[in-house]
Amino acid sequence: MRVSIPHMGHLYIPLKAMFQRLGIDYVIPPVNSQRTLSLGSRYSPEGLCIPFKMTLGNMIESAEMGANAVLMPGGYGICRLGYYTRVQEQILHNLGYDFEVIQIGVSDRKFFGAMDMLKRVSNNAPWHRILSAFRFALAKLSTVDQIEQMTQKVRPVELVQGTANQLYAKAVHAIDNTDDYDTLKRTKADYLRQLNEVVKNKQARPLVVGITGEFYVVLEPFSSFDIERELGKLGVEVRRATYISGWTKFSYFLNPFGINEKSRIHKAARPYLKRDIGGDGWESVGEKVLHAKEYDGLIHLAPFTCMPEIIAENIMPSTKEQIPVLTILCDEQIAKAGVLTRLEAFVDLLERKRRKQNNVLRVTA
Amino acid sequence: MTTVGIPRALLYYQYYPMWKTFFEYLGAEVVVSPPTTRKTLAEGAARVVADTCLPVKVFVGHTVSLVEKCDRIFIPVVRSLKSKTYNCSKFLGLPDMTRAVVPEAPLILEIEININLGKRRLYQDIYRLGRQFTWNPLKVREAATAAWQAFLDYRELMYHRELTPPQAMEEITGKLPAGPEITPESPRVPRTTIGLIGHAYLLYDEHINYQIINRLHQYNAMVVTPEMLAGDTIEASVNKLAGQAYWTYEEEVVGAGGHFLENNTDGIIGIMAFGCGPDSLMMDMIHRQATRQKTTPFMCLTLEEHTSETGVITRLEAFMDMIHRRKQRGKAICV
Repeated sequence: MRVSIPHMGHLYIPLKAMFQRLGIDYVIPPVNSQRTLSLGSRYSPEGLCIPFKMTLGNMIESAEMGANAVLMPGGYGICRLGYYTRVQEQILHNLGYDFEVIQIGVSDRKFFGAMDMLKRVSNNAPWHRILSAFRFALAKLSTVDQIEQMTQKVRPVELVQGTANQLYAKAVHAIDNTDDYDTLKRTKADYLRQLNEVVKNKQARPLVVGITGEFYVVLEPFSSFDIERELGKLGVEVRRATYISGWTKFSYFLNPFGINEKSRIHKAARPYLKRDIGGDGWESVGEKVLHAKEYDGLIHLAPFTCMPEIIAENIMPSTKEQIPVLTILCDEQIAKAGVLTRLEAFVDLLERKRRKQNNVLRVTA
Repeated sequence: MTTVGIPRALLYYQYYPMWKTFFEYLGAEVVVSPPTTRKTLAEGAARVVADTCLPVKVFVGHTVSLVEKCDRIFIPVVRSLKSKTYNCSKFLGLPDMTRAVVPEAPLILEIEININLGKRRLYQDIYRLGRQFTWNPLKVREAATAAWQAFLDYRELMYHRELTPPQAMEEITGKLPAGPEITPESPRVPRTTIGLIGHAYLLYDEHINYQIINRLHQYNAMVVTPEMLAGDTIEASVNKLAGQAYWTYEEEVVGAGGHFLENNTDGIIGIMAFGCGPDSLMMDMIHRQATRQKTTPFMCLTLEEHTSETGVITRLEAFMDMIHRRKQRGKAICV
């Protein structure tokens, strides 16, 4: 069996490490490109969201490279994503690929489900090897995420634009190539130091914009028009609550013990939305309420026709905690130039708002 | 006396007799919003963001029309009716969304139906709902039993006499069906059976589906809808087509569609709303199955507020012409 995975941000790095350590035959599909999206949307039912189309595109591209199985999240309790594996498998069969879509349950049997899946994919490797591979993958994942967080901080204040992005790309590449904890640790320290040493504009007080919304589009830069980098170019600091490492940490290890990282967000959302509506709708509303004071603005990313985010989008304007929100729907029809124009306008608005506040402060002082 | 308003949209078509019995038993008066008109839809669409699906826009429009007429609005949240199933987010967030987009709405009565949490929780929730009207748990219990009985009767009526929900409701309330006697357009067209699949709120809202049932009758077609099938036949074909059921309301699409594909219907028409999450997957599944079988023609109509009536009629005419031709030749030629 030749296993492949769909892309979501830098998720391929830890998975690749895991496959290598377990000696699994794997294929990493080419990075998301226009071709991926075109292939995906060509064979998808029209009403489906961009995560479906992109992942289907990844599957087709990896099938072309000889893969015959793919790992894909699914299962009861989330939005319609739970059903995607079956439909995608049918589509691939109709296209003539002998392809298996292996479902990773994201809501039930979380950690153990993932372990069972690994056991199966790795041809019954012994448990200690699976666990050690999994641990190494997690270490890589959290390293990449830490470096990404650092990059987000540096990006808006660097003097030479693009330095942070270059360092980040190099770091990702370096982390991808490490294969033991020592080098990983050294790489991490090295790049964090380099990011720290980037020449920065000391006076800059960048606007802070939160990014919230649907998991996939928030994490996959291609589907959301590289929004974080674009905001960085405009001198805006980006904060987001969703990281893959955070998600795995909590949903695999801490949630079973009753620790929920989202309980704060849920509590904040409760006056406006009482219950989980699937997907990340509840969290989107909660983050707006929770961070209204902290952030200057919020960008709400959602795939077109995403059910939970539409509800969130409807509820958001009515909250008492006011903060400018820009909802961007991601779809294969939307042009990047249009999104950039909207982003610029949004940032202008935030800047004006801040200037006005400062003036008020000066007058009263 | 409290008046409870029930919007004539979404789950109304499936459960209205049950809700009515429940609230009337507890001494409340029940008001239903008038049938959908262009104004209802326009008002609903103006309040929500553009990507919201058509049935939800209609629902919001109905809620707006109820604002002046009642003291409470009943909006239930149905999460699951069987274990390990889930419902569309739009149903789950409905009361909260209504509160956000119709701020002038009176108090919203909500109840969450989630079988996964167990029966005990369900009973508690029902009592919590009933407590709005009486403190007496026994009375709530009686009301709930009566309501359940009313629901079973309603289902039975639809299944045995092959009635559509609006017809069955008229039957229950004692009003005689006011609809005109059906006269087929021309006696030359053969009698056909058309399976109509889709959610009840699309099939029976005559404004948003452009009276599709009436139009089919005019083509001398007998229309069968998911409500006329027995529960276990539907379940069997859900399992066959989609594996383990996943959505709370997928039976009416996948189950009925799968059943009609195999049981002597001359054609199947699927009706879905643009942007419907579950249907975008489920209609596709039926479509694929129909393509694979190549025995029964299948057409899917996607509705939204910009759909034009003429477009729907043209497609319907073409589809029916094709079916009549097939019928007359007595041979299977398929899409």
